[in-house]
Amino acid sequence: MATTHQVAITIVAPIVPASLERLQATLVEMSANPGTSILPFSQFNGVHFARLVIIPPIAGAATRSRSSLAFLLDCDAPERERLRQLVTTAGEGLDAVLGCCEGYPAVGARSGRSRMAYLRSHLRPLAACYVNTIGRPLKQIQQEATLRLELEQFLDGKKNAWSGKPATSVRGDILAFVQGRQDLRWALQPAPKPSLFWRVGEWLHLARGLLIVLAAVPFALMAAPFVIVALRRRELSDAADRLIPEDSHVEELAAVEDLLPQNQFTAIGEVKPGRFRQLVARTVLWLVNLGTRHIYNRGVLTGVKSIHAARWVFLDDYRQMVFSSNYDGSLENYMDDFIDKVSWGLNAVFSNGVGYPRTNWLVREGATDEQAFKSYIRTRQKLSEVWYTAYGQLTTLNIANNARIRAGLHGQLTEAAAAAWLRTL
Amino acid sequence: MEKLDLSDIQGLVARGYGKLRAARFLLLRTEDPGLARSWLAGLAPTITPSDEDPRETAIHIAFTTTGLRALGLPEEAMSGFSNEFREGMTTPHRQRILGDAGENDPASWRWGGPDNARVDAVLMLYAVNEDALAALLGTHAEALEAAKIEVVTPLHTTDIGNGEHFGFRDGISQPTVEGMGRDGPSPSVIKPGEFVLGYKNEYGLLTDRPLVPPASDPGGLLAKDSGGSKSRDFGRNGTYLVIRTIEQNVPRFWQSLDGLSRGPQNEPDAAARLRLGAKMVGRWPGGAPLALSPDHDDPALSTANAFGYHPGDAEGLRCPVGAHVRRTNPRDSLDPNPGSQASLRLNRRHRILRRGRAYGPPISVEDAISGNDAGEERGLHFICLAANIARQFEFIQHTWANNPKFDGLYDEVDPLMGPRGPRGATFAMPANPVRERVQGLPEFVTTRGGAYFFLPGTSALRYLASLS
Repeated sequence: MATTHQVAITIVAPIVPASLERLQATLVEMSANPGTSILPFSQFNGVHFARLVIIPPIAGAATRSRSSLAFLLDCDAPERERLRQLVTTAGEGLDAVLGCCEGYPAVGARSGRSRMAYLRSHLRPLAACYVNTIGRPLKQIQQEATLRLELEQFLDGKKNAWSGKPATSVRGDILAFVQGRQDLRWALQPAPKPSLFWRVGEWLHLARGLLIVLAAVPFALMAAPFVIVALRRRELSDAADRLIPEDSHVEELAAVEDLLPQNQFTAIGEVKPGRFRQLVARTVLWLVNLGTRHIYNRGVLTGVKSIHAARWVFLDDYRQMVFSSNYDGSLENYMDDFIDKVSWGLNAVFSNGVGYPRTNWLVREGATDEQAFKSYIRTRQKLSEVWYTAYGQLTTLNIANNARIRAGLHGQLTEAAAAAWLRTL
Repeated sequence: MEKLDLSDIQGLVARGYGKLRAARFLLLRTEDPGLARSWLAGLAPTITPSDEDPRETAIHIAFTTTGLRALGLPEEAMSGFSNEFREGMTTPHRQRILGDAGENDPASWRWGGPDNARVDAVLMLYAVNEDALAALLGTHAEALEAAKIEVVTPLHTTDIGNGEHFGFRDGISQPTVEGMGRDGPSPSVIKPGEFVLGYKNEYGLLTDRPLVPPASDPGGLLAKDSGGSKSRDFGRNGTYLVIRTIEQNVPRFWQSLDGLSRGPQNEPDAAARLRLGAKMVGRWPGGAPLALSPDHDDPALSTANAFGYHPGDAEGLRCPVGAHVRRTNPRDSLDPNPGSQASLRLNRRHRILRRGRAYGPPISVEDAISGNDAGEERGLHFICLAANIARQFEFIQHTWANNPKFDGLYDEVDPLMGPRGPRGATFAMPANPVRERVQGLPEFVTTRGGAYFFLPGTSALRYLASLS
């Protein structure tokens, strides 16, 4: 029993306007070596992904005229451990970055305690969060990747030695190899399972969520006619902007894309004015979160398998929404996945954003207007100033297959099961 | 079914001119816009339309952005072209998408690269034989010279039959354009909007297209924008044309396969060598797909195209997942639900019409292995047509062929044409009880040139010629 689940940490702080340029320079320096410089994520325990993004203010809004810094971490629980390590081992790095933000402790007042207080006071709640496979810690991902490489090399060395042999006997040879390797023996134990305490907590969370849904049904039914009228009225009149992204904007974004098998995506959108759209967006994301936490937590998000982690955060009193994700393959493929496999889900969330392609009954059409949707995505996309991934060469499918390779080392397998297992190598 | 305006669509969309065995593609640079427009006015009526099946010659013309600007296409039209076309093939990001690094870097290209002469257009000439081509070239050379249009690079071609230089039958799997009057197996019948602008694509939508102000078209040569604006549709019946000159190192290909397939005493094993080549391609030299005939070539299956990989070959025991034809046309292999209609529907959104031609002298497998080669360059002028370069051509190249992670793989690229890392390429062949895997494959092909063009409809050509 162990702590195996992940947490998504979001810290948002307004940037002191006079310090914006200094911050930008610091982030450029960081992005040259995102795992090791200033905030050395690769030296922290359990950080899967990290990113720093400058969030521009909503154009023309009087409420907030300055940019904010968003600092996002996808990491293993517990959150307090991750924050503590940041503060204790990278205090100066935090100063260099967050020192450009409002309210950060003055030079003389910086201590572990004051930095921690700043981080804590700038934590933002998530509207929704997705993790490809809940309960697979960083160390496990890295270990299992090593295991696979070692086994592949072992097979290469045995060229033709097994032709005609039964799969069980080949598996026996592989088991003997692993047993003989001190550094691989861990693989003979199953991967750690989440603690009973955590699982009970998840069940309670789900039960609470379902109770809320049940309790809301009568009210929802009563409100339905009004909601439908309000929604249809807006859907039919809301403007879809069909902005074509500027070539220079695309160039800036593309410059940091496809450097690895994984990519990052950040988009910032403005929620349509008025409380109605805010309420729809919040309700839908609350349901999304229930779904991702309890149903889509084993490698597939309604047919899409390529997303490692994603989150939705509201800013500025629900007027602005930030979406960020870490995914495999190209943006073109990512957008096609959205359109082909989960357009209804995207529509329900993002049609509450200004300029989104026209939807029909909240979930229909919208993203299936392929080029309008792709233009919408690109125009709302924001460069991630700093992006770090702990395993940029591994796709979600690789990680899942690596786990199957390890699992196949345990227990007795029939000939057919052993043959199927050998096919994972 | 939508009715296509075949007389306005250039005939290269409808056919690859298998009977016109001789071809040359002239890469052009214009100097004098006025002269170029007069030249185009004379050329436009001679362009072969899609409703003609020529027996003697065929002529096509396509332009780059510089060519369209030089002729005076209004700047308003530019934002309607795709970002890929506007930016061109050689941006740093596009180099990553296409795998043009190292030896393939555009900086060392023969044409289309940053250090090469500007290319404004490509004039594509086809003829029934070399004599007829020579005559056609003569006529066009005069007209080009009179119009002060320079032939920057002529792309020569060689008739090597229905194969490509490595020795495998090529061009078997072509999508059928709905409404073009040809039949094909139903999964291969693709909506015309995937290949021609102005018609519905596989999403049931019109692809973005270049529009021009009505004032620029006083003669009313162009159709009205079907989107309802007052603009005229310059894109209708046009499409994008991709050309990439790809050198094939045939001796290196067969020598590598020979080395990897030798027996225990290092003796050559011709059957094992052929099998390894077929595993990499996914079809035997004669064309039979491994998915249907895993152990030997089969003349009866030489053009077989109505097959899938599920459920019969889901794991790639017959045709490896990483094989060239399985990557470039995965058929029913991929999510959602491999083997389903949904999977085929997704595949239909990533098809291209291939119109490539070989160049350079052919070479036999034996001569390739023994190194009996005069050293003259050979390869393929890869040519394809697509209405959406990013979703079709670039997607196939990047998300499928060059992707080390294709369909759950780890670190393999297309064994024929994928870019190699410092340690060469890896290629795995699923087998019982364990996979076979070859490593350290060198590069068998090198990109030598390339560009994105726009192939306008014939009335759009007349419009270009009418500009001032």
